[in-house]
Amino acid sequence: MIFEKRTERILVPMFFMVALFVPLFLESNSFFVGKVTTILILSIFVMSLDFLVGRVGLITLGHALFYGLGGYLFVILSPEYEAVNFWVYTFYICGISALIALVTGAVVLRTTGIYFIMITLAISQMMFYYFFDSLDFGGNDGVFIFMKPETSIFGLSFLNLDDPQHFYYLALFSLFNTLVFFKVVLRSRFGRIVEATKQNPDRTEALGYNIFAFRLTCYVIGSTLGAYAGFLFALQYGFVNPSFLAWEMSGTALVMSILGGLGTIYGAILGTFTYEGLQYFFEHLTEEWLLFMGSAIILMVILLRKGIAGYLEKLLEK
Amino acid sequence: MTTELFFVQLINGIQYGLLLFLIASGLTLVFGVMGILNLAHGSMYMVGAYLVWYFATVTGSFTVSAVLSAIIALTLGILIERVLIQRLYNRNHLDQVLLTIGMIFVFNSLQSILFGNDPYGVAVPGALDGGIPFTDNSSYPIYRIFAALICVAIAGVLYYVVSRTRLGMLIRAGESNREMVEALGVNIKSLYTIVFAIGVMLAAVSGIIAAPMRSIVPGMGESVLITCFVVVVIGGMGSIKGAFVGALLVGLVSTFSSVLMPSMSNMIIYIFMILVLLVKPQGLFAK
Repeated sequence: MIFEKRTERILVPMFFMVALFVPLFLESNSFFVGKVTTILILSIFVMSLDFLVGRVGLITLGHALFYGLGGYLFVILSPEYEAVNFWVYTFYICGISALIALVTGAVVLRTTGIYFIMITLAISQMMFYYFFDSLDFGGNDGVFIFMKPETSIFGLSFLNLDDPQHFYYLALFSLFNTLVFFKVVLRSRFGRIVEATKQNPDRTEALGYNIFAFRLTCYVIGSTLGAYAGFLFALQYGFVNPSFLAWEMSGTALVMSILGGLGTIYGAILGTFTYEGLQYFFEHLTEEWLLFMGSAIILMVILLRKGIAGYLEKLLEK
Repeated sequence: MTTELFFVQLINGIQYGLLLFLIASGLTLVFGVMGILNLAHGSMYMVGAYLVWYFATVTGSFTVSAVLSAIIALTLGILIERVLIQRLYNRNHLDQVLLTIGMIFVFNSLQSILFGNDPYGVAVPGALDGGIPFTDNSSYPIYRIFAALICVAIAGVLYYVVSRTRLGMLIRAGESNREMVEALGVNIKSLYTIVFAIGVMLAAVSGIIAAPMRSIVPGMGESVLITCFVVVVIGGMGSIKGAFVGALLVGLVSTFSSVLMPSMSNMIIYIFMILVLLVKPQGLFAK
């Protein structure tokens, strides 16, 4: 069983069952479907960050770099007024993002601790300003994506990305796969060694493992999935702009993953939904929602030490 | 580039660097002594700038407003440390990041509630208005020179306090071994409160000094925060000497690059930081 804890065995199936059936009772282009699609996509991004921060121990404050790259790569690669194939471009974007992660990872992983936090931040800021100042990509305004990709495989098409409901299921399906993928990876021999590199790097190295190679592989995996999430987000809204890779994006995602319960993987979904839910609630309550949002975050750090997942596990385990 | 332009940019760069040092010194002091990564440090810079603007419009005197704002900032620092930061000493960097991000939200929101979202400017105090003639047809604003001198003076005081006084001795001792200092009967709790409050005040004072030179806008704290990170990382986290060198380097690099390569000027300091970290992964003055 890839789900080790009782809490996830209860929560994960429950979540996906509800998520699977609820939209069937709603109008396809309802606000709710669109909003939840966004949160599902964000959950993928937060989950990939949770894997890096909580499981590999790489505290990055520049994860949004890949979120933005997912969107910008699509704009750079695809012709402007022609629908391209979704699966082919997913492959391209993930491949190129993985390459970029390999190169930048080889640089940033030379540092550790607080310096790692800072150098990841610096690289993402650098790219932020590149897109912000560049005239080719619309600067601060970003670029519109006029044509959504078509999704046929061998001539068969069962998914229409212009239909919000279809897009919702694509996001849900992607999130589910991401969750299962991370759980399988972490249960594997590879995942156990990664766990060891986090708990005791010196001892793991003494056992003959190349820590750098393991960390780099994880960095590439996490970054590539982050780019995939950014690609989906850009497609849903039909544009990409520098705010995708602003440091606030990395910071918020970090808040979400800690809120959910760091290193639990499924906690990323809890954290993202709670954060977005709270924000939605406060936004409609008052214009000064940021005050409540900030206070809520501060309270949660002080009271919920292991995030929501940690709290639920305390209730449900034993 | 003419010689004249070169010298103007050189002075600009040094002056900007000194201001950056003043902000970054608080960040690096708090990190070095307490091990706290305060992301809300930029918000304190914003608090200083907004307070001095507010008091200047009420009282009309820049000096009075500056003193009032600095005192309020110091009190705020003590309060924040006592109520929030104190709970973080046994936590990891991640909880610190989360809590201080929450603080950024709260301060940004308070700024918009109390002062609105319009940009403001503070008038240069009368005695310092005007310029020093540079050549026949150009001059350099006196206030900028004055601001640079104030920064140097504060840097000097900070150096003196840390390296020559009893408080500074305790600060340095707390940096290297917290438990030992505690065992020797020093109240480390109040030492930490003092250090944090000094850090907050340094950021706020930078905001006060910068107020007449820059516009006071929402989000000013975040942009300065990220630049400060670059400064302390280049210099080596926790090292005040490093922050000084890092700040001057960043000040000069960003000033000259905005003249020589305007399209790349925003990116340049990050590229510079990455290059430094490639050569010295712990910064220039790592311990």
